[in-house]
Amino acid sequence: MSDWLATLIAPENRFLWRAALLCVLLGVSASMLGCVLVVRRLSLMGDALAHSLLPGVGIAWLMVGTSLPALLVGGLTAGLVTAMASGLISRLTRVKEDAAFAALFITLFGLGVALVSKAGTPIDLLHFLFGNILAVGPQDLWLAAGVSTLTITIFAVFYRSILLECFDPAYHRASGGRSTVTHLGLLALVVLNLVAALHALGGVLALGLFMLPAVTAYLWCDRWGRMLAFAAIYAVSGALIGLWVSVQAGLASGPAMVLVLGAGFAVSCVIGPRHGLLRWFLRPVHHHQEESEEHCEVPGHRH
Amino acid sequence: MPTDALRFDDVTVCYGPTPAVHHLSAELPCGSLVALMGPNGAGKSTLLRTILGWHRLTTGSITIGGVPCRKASRRIGYLPQRTAVDWDFPVTVRDVVAMGRYQVLGPFRGFRTEDHAAVDAAITEMGLEWLADRQIAALSGGQQQRTFLARAVASGADIFLLDEPFAGLDPSSSADLVRRLQTWAKAGRLVVTVVHDLDLARRYFPQALLVRASLIAAGPTAEVLNPRNLTRAYGASYASERSMVAVPKPAPAPALGLSLKDPRVKPMARKAAP
Repeated sequence: MSDWLATLIAPENRFLWRAALLCVLLGVSASMLGCVLVVRRLSLMGDALAHSLLPGVGIAWLMVGTSLPALLVGGLTAGLVTAMASGLISRLTRVKEDAAFAALFITLFGLGVALVSKAGTPIDLLHFLFGNILAVGPQDLWLAAGVSTLTITIFAVFYRSILLECFDPAYHRASGGRSTVTHLGLLALVVLNLVAALHALGGVLALGLFMLPAVTAYLWCDRWGRMLAFAAIYAVSGALIGLWVSVQAGLASGPAMVLVLGAGFAVSCVIGPRHGLLRWFLRPVHHHQEESEEHCEVPGHRH
Repeated sequence: MPTDALRFDDVTVCYGPTPAVHHLSAELPCGSLVALMGPNGAGKSTLLRTILGWHRLTTGSITIGGVPCRKASRRIGYLPQRTAVDWDFPVTVRDVVAMGRYQVLGPFRGFRTEDHAAVDAAITEMGLEWLADRQIAALSGGQQQRTFLARAVASGADIFLLDEPFAGLDPSSSADLVRRLQTWAKAGRLVVTVVHDLDLARRYFPQALLVRASLIAAGPTAEVLNPRNLTRAYGASYASERSMVAVPKPAPAPALGLSLKDPRVKPMARKAAP
């Protein structure tokens, strides 16, 4: 135990503290955005966004070389272009938003792969694609701190608008809210958080910090505020445990975190009190619809 | 002072090349219970959503008590179609009703004592006290409907727009809803409801508005739903189908809904019991 502590405190392991701090910062903000994606049924859109960051990072790398700000600006631009363009396409044409996202992200991902393969794959570019927590520097931490603070502030200030936009966009608009602005603003926050998590976790694995806490919280919570809080706490603790596992087992940090968070989700699927699998076995179904159907059984009655 | 009424003046709404609502004029005074009727695609929902300000008017104006309806949006309570709601969303009945106050408070101001009181009063008025802390998927169809009506009440609205509230409700829930709407109309509120069931409209709704892009008729339900207007709204094929249905119906039709169900159930029951 004391050995383990000594290792942690050792100055050569300062990277671990940086990594842990990054997990705490982004765990809170990314998981809250994940909640929005889960309840709006846009979970796969996060995936599309993550993939579409690739060409931005690739182009920036070709133009500037290995420069953290340049690579992040590249990824940010590509992500925002995808998010805004598909938002516009879905509002102006017949194409629905998920299809617009799919069309754009796969094209952009193709472009990204083409660029990366043409340029060869230097190791520091790979860090951006697949993540390396060892590579987290002070710049990453500042970025994460800024993005996280911005996200949490926006969630606190616009709590009602976000809740209305997620639950009932029609009512939000009818009661004088700015539905489109809220929607695009949330998408922009998703891109910002993805970019901030890019270096540590890699674009695609960073999504684990968004989706897994949110979908786990969805199994446990019946109120929006509690779902946000549950997701944030779960994300931070899961990511820290994942980090510890990765150090102990010598695994890459991104996959280790995602696996820990995913394991918690799997367990919740089974034991979730009201929405998990076990509830089917623990007590008789008492949902009103089944109930009313059982009570008014009519021979040969069909709807 | 202009009469307190929802007034359409020469309203045309277009999206795409053909107008969904075409030069429609009508006046619905407060204190009435109005069935908004017409075939699918007649522009009923469009008309409701235009009042809410979702669609731009191509011509004409909509006013509430002489005020443009955009400025009177707080007076309007809207009940969405049931299919438009995600019932698994993590909110309780009380959370949904509290959303009605967001409109009054704006996005930032905190809940005051009177806001909590308004939420409680709306929950009580709709008879939802014992369900207030339930998640909304754990309610019956009628209770879900009442939750959204309570949200409209909590916002202080006195003009209610209901888009197909009877879809998927069983006869007793429908009757319960109709009674509540009648009480509201008597209390001076205006209730405009999209209704598809002609019998329901005839029985419970004193006023009707029949549309097919343009206005076909407005006024007392019995006059509006005469065969000539119905043929104009629903087409000649509808009128002939209607007469075929009417023949096997027993002459003294008792309670609504049940009378339609009974003849179907009886022969089945006979078969089952030898």
